[in-house]
Amino acid sequence: MAVAANTFRETVRERVLYNLVFFALLMTVSGLLLGHLSIRQDEKILKDVGLAAMDLFGTAIAILIGVGLIIKEIERRSLYPLLVKPLTRGEFFLGKFAGLAFTLLVNLAVMAAGLYLTLLATGHRADWRLLEAVYPMFLGLLLVVAFAMLFSTIASSSALASVFTVAVVIVGRFADVIRNMREVLPGVPGWLASGLFSVLPNLGNFDFKDKVAYGDPVSAKVLLWVTAYAIAYSGVVLTVGYVAFRRRDFR
Amino acid sequence: MAGDAVIRTSGLSKNYPTGHVFQKRRPALVDLNLEVLRGEILGYIGPNGSGKTTTLKVLTGLLHPDAGAAWIFGAPLASREWRLRIGYLPEHPYLYDYLTPAEYLDYVGRLFGCDRRRRRERTRELLALVGLERSAHVAMRRFSKGMLQRAGLAQALVNDPELLILDEPMSGLDPLGRRLVRDLIVDLHGRGKTVLFSSHILSDAEALCDRVAVLRGGRLLSVGALRDLLRLDVSHLEVLAAGVPHDLPGLGAERQEAVGDRLRLEVRDDRLGPAVTAIEAAGGRVLSVLPVRESLEDYFFREVAGAGPRDAWGEG
Repeated sequence: MAVAANTFRETVRERVLYNLVFFALLMTVSGLLLGHLSIRQDEKILKDVGLAAMDLFGTAIAILIGVGLIIKEIERRSLYPLLVKPLTRGEFFLGKFAGLAFTLLVNLAVMAAGLYLTLLATGHRADWRLLEAVYPMFLGLLLVVAFAMLFSTIASSSALASVFTVAVVIVGRFADVIRNMREVLPGVPGWLASGLFSVLPNLGNFDFKDKVAYGDPVSAKVLLWVTAYAIAYSGVVLTVGYVAFRRRDFR
Repeated sequence: MAGDAVIRTSGLSKNYPTGHVFQKRRPALVDLNLEVLRGEILGYIGPNGSGKTTTLKVLTGLLHPDAGAAWIFGAPLASREWRLRIGYLPEHPYLYDYLTPAEYLDYVGRLFGCDRRRRRERTRELLALVGLERSAHVAMRRFSKGMLQRAGLAQALVNDPELLILDEPMSGLDPLGRRLVRDLIVDLHGRGKTVLFSSHILSDAEALCDRVAVLRGGRLLSVGALRDLLRLDVSHLEVLAAGVPHDLPGLGAERQEAVGDRLRLEVRDDRLGPAVTAIEAAGGRVLSVLPVRESLEDYFFREVAGAGPRDAWGEG
């Protein structure tokens, strides 16, 4: 708990966080301009742009700060005095994860509040169903943080860890392309395409932005399934990261 | 004061991988058998790359040993019990620079499960102890190396530990800081604490330690009380004379050299009388006669055969 609280404090003192949140809010408000360009579509465009900004900048925060969580501690050797305290490596690792998870939650809350204020200021109602897209978005960001922490533990530099994490995010966003790979490349064995699709993270599972912007409801059953997927996948990734962290020598 | 072993190692070994494709193992610590006794100050000395920091990191769980075992307060390294009772200062400590020392000490206090009131009290006490009260609320990114070392020492003392493991605690400190750390170690020793510290500053080790352990090439060369390791009996006498030529014959000196317009001799105890007589007979006068004892530095260079001071004793 102490590690999580300190990680939250560490992340809120990162200048990059404020820059990203500022740009996300700016992007949300700029949806107003786009709304004026279309007829009777201004509310949908505001929601589209607002949710996209939350997703884009939330992912940027998850990658930029998530990658640094462990590797910066190793490179700067700041974890040396701490790991000798009555604190297991598991507690340290999970505390870091929990701290950034809380930061992301607060950021999403700030960005969502910005979107609601913009909607209210333009005479639209506060559509609470937007949260049906924000909640799975948060779960997807947790998975990105888990990957960032895994790569941050096993990679030899923060640059390499960033590249790996961005690669996973790109692959995860275009998981459907892998599933349909055989339509474009018929030579690819079916087992390979389906195997890759099953093993790689499918971040599309967390994307309900369009659905919610169009006013379609997201059922509780789907949200439950997405939650289970996020817990299971993040659990596996964090476990692998923790095992690597526990075995690591700090020279 | 000294008693049972607070730290005990048996055959402790650690190798580091070298190379990228075809990895080899370079031994950093070989078959270390060492005991640190309750209430003593043990100096862990050796040249660069001798395995001092590796040993301390293995003992504190930052490195996994490849062979052997170690016990702290009778508990194996894997145990969590001993962590409540020790304080550790790494070499060149890097503390979170976005925190102030007061915030950092509060954070460490939370890791030890101290309540808010206790943390506040302890933070105030420790900042005063290491002379950082006036910088208590300054972010550590603005600290000098010496100030960071002081803050590092403070974090090692949060839990009022029974055992302190300090890796080069005087490193990077100005003379005032070194004096502060030395006084602190002496004070802790006086309160019955056990201190294991590594150092390349032999005069500090000589001034502070009950015993020293000398390491070379990852192997323990010797360990024992200074009086046992050093030739503390007067090995020879240093005579300073004036008014005689530098090459005055018949003095029976082991060593004879000019120091400005004076003559410096090193003579054995039984040759002092004839040497003084010869100086006076030549019209000169004896300015001083000083007994010379072996220092830890002399001991080190005696034991590390063939290594000149620069080869055997680097910085850090």
